[in-house]
Amino acid sequence: MEWLFLAVSFVAVLAAGMMLTRQNAVHSALFLIVNFGCVAFLYLMLDAPFLAMVQVTVYTGAIMVLFLFVIMLLGAETTTDTSGRMRWLGLAGSAVAIILLLIFAFPIASDMLADEMAAPQDTRAQLRVINAIPGGDAEEFTVMEMGFAMPLAGTVSASVALDAVDESMADSRIDSVVYSDSREAIRGYTELEAGAYTVAVGVDDGSYVSGPVFTKDLVLPPDSAFSVVVFENEEGLVDVTLLADDISAPDVGTMRLTVFNAVTDRQVSLVNVGQYTTRRTLCDDASCASLIPHRRLIDQLPAGDHTSIALDEGTYNLAFVDQDQNILRTLADYKAERGLIETRVLVREPGVPGSQPSYRAAVFTALGLPAFGSPESVGQVLFIEYVLPVMLVGMLLLVALIGVIVLARPDALAQAERRRINRRRRVNRPLVSVISQQTGADVLSGEYMAKLTGGPDDGSDQ
Amino acid sequence: MNPIGAEPYIVLSMVLFLLGALGVLMRRNAILVFMSVELMLNSANLALVAFAREWGQVNGHVFVFFVMTVAAAEVAVGLALIVNIFRERQSINIDDLQQMQG
Repeated sequence: MEWLFLAVSFVAVLAAGMMLTRQNAVHSALFLIVNFGCVAFLYLMLDAPFLAMVQVTVYTGAIMVLFLFVIMLLGAETTTDTSGRMRWLGLAGSAVAIILLLIFAFPIASDMLADEMAAPQDTRAQLRVINAIPGGDAEEFTVMEMGFAMPLAGTVSASVALDAVDESMADSRIDSVVYSDSREAIRGYTELEAGAYTVAVGVDDGSYVSGPVFTKDLVLPPDSAFSVVVFENEEGLVDVTLLADDISAPDVGTMRLTVFNAVTDRQVSLVNVGQYTTRRTLCDDASCASLIPHRRLIDQLPAGDHTSIALDEGTYNLAFVDQDQNILRTLADYKAERGLIETRVLVREPGVPGSQPSYRAAVFTALGLPAFGSPESVGQVLFIEYVLPVMLVGMLLLVALIGVIVLARPDALAQAERRRINRRRRVNRPLVSVISQQTGADVLSGEYMAKLTGGPDDGSDQ
Repeated sequence: MNPIGAEPYIVLSMVLFLLGALGVLMRRNAILVFMSVELMLNSANLALVAFAREWGQVNGHVFVFFVMTVAAAEVAVGLALIVNIFRERQSINIDDLQQMQG
């Protein structure tokens, strides 16, 4: 990598030097194009692929072509350059440049600016709370399936409150994202200062959190995203686990699906069943042996555990299956959208005792952050944070456009003169015809002109 | 991850900037003066991108965007001026342009 940088920067400096010293302006322009190409390559090395492409199209493509056009249009390839009177300026300029280079390069070379140039540490962490305790009643279940986000005050058996250990952070309590649809859950993350926290789980009746029933110490590293999952462990007690969420962009054309198993006594597998099925078991023993392994996306996930998979874009029929091949929950026509990050928490629904238990795969989604320097990330900053400057720059370009049109009109002065002459003609022509009409004579003939200038009288005054 | 820090890029952009400044001072051809200005703008862009990578902030890229826009506008207007000047006096040697000298 270093030799690549050295080679490219050497070519860039060499091209810049050649540009300065060529007498022929066309050669200079071509060397400048080489230099811009090198800079575009350096942009690629600096994780700015979008800017590299803009550099190639705008600078080397548009601006330099404009330069070449003008040079060739004017025929000004070689102009007598330095009139001896000004030669001292070049020498003085080189001296100043070398002195400036020494002044600038010395602090960097001697590491004096190491502290100033060091990247700042990101001290923020993101946190959300996922309630995976079997709770609620049939109504809640219906509401959730319809995609409404409801706080469900008073009916939730347990919800989560987070209090910071630090007194100053005591206000940053996060209420849980209990049953909510996917759009709601995107906002589920809350930004916090990185550090050590204590999660307190209490029973929330909508106005008052009693408890805490359970507390757990968590450490949030900087620049990270975590989900606190509250679930019921094997002993039937409230347990809290910390999921490190990967919110970077998924691989191109895929989504990232994380499955958390909050069903105490089941080992859950996620299977791509292909066709929609209403069966209660995945297969009998004979066909299970021949089940294609790649259809089993996640294999035997123990309770309280989680795993992530990359799912190609497309539509799937997925099923959560336990260790006895019973289908716990199907996800029919599951759409895997590219760039999506989804967490599915498999929870048991408390039903009527003795009846067949039902299960729910609660959804918590987030959109992946675009990769640094990608068109998405630049566009987001450009059109959200910098809308006004973008408008102003557009205005600037408009003004420049008008200015160029005005400047580029061929000999504007001569045109103005011609317009003045035309105006005079337009006034004169009707005047002549008016006179000829009033006098009834051919105004433009020599006879009339002779009379006006006092020629021989032919009795025309009668 | 890229093993090269921001410093080499800053030094390179400094060298390119000084070369551009030298061109502005030394060359008398107006078109070459303009190209040297472009070189200086480009080296500033390189520094911005290097710092953007170092700090993990995309804002630097956005500023590069604006600099490019301004450079494009400047080149368009400047070249139109040069064409007009050349028409008038058949020369684009900037030492010949002294009407506004006090």
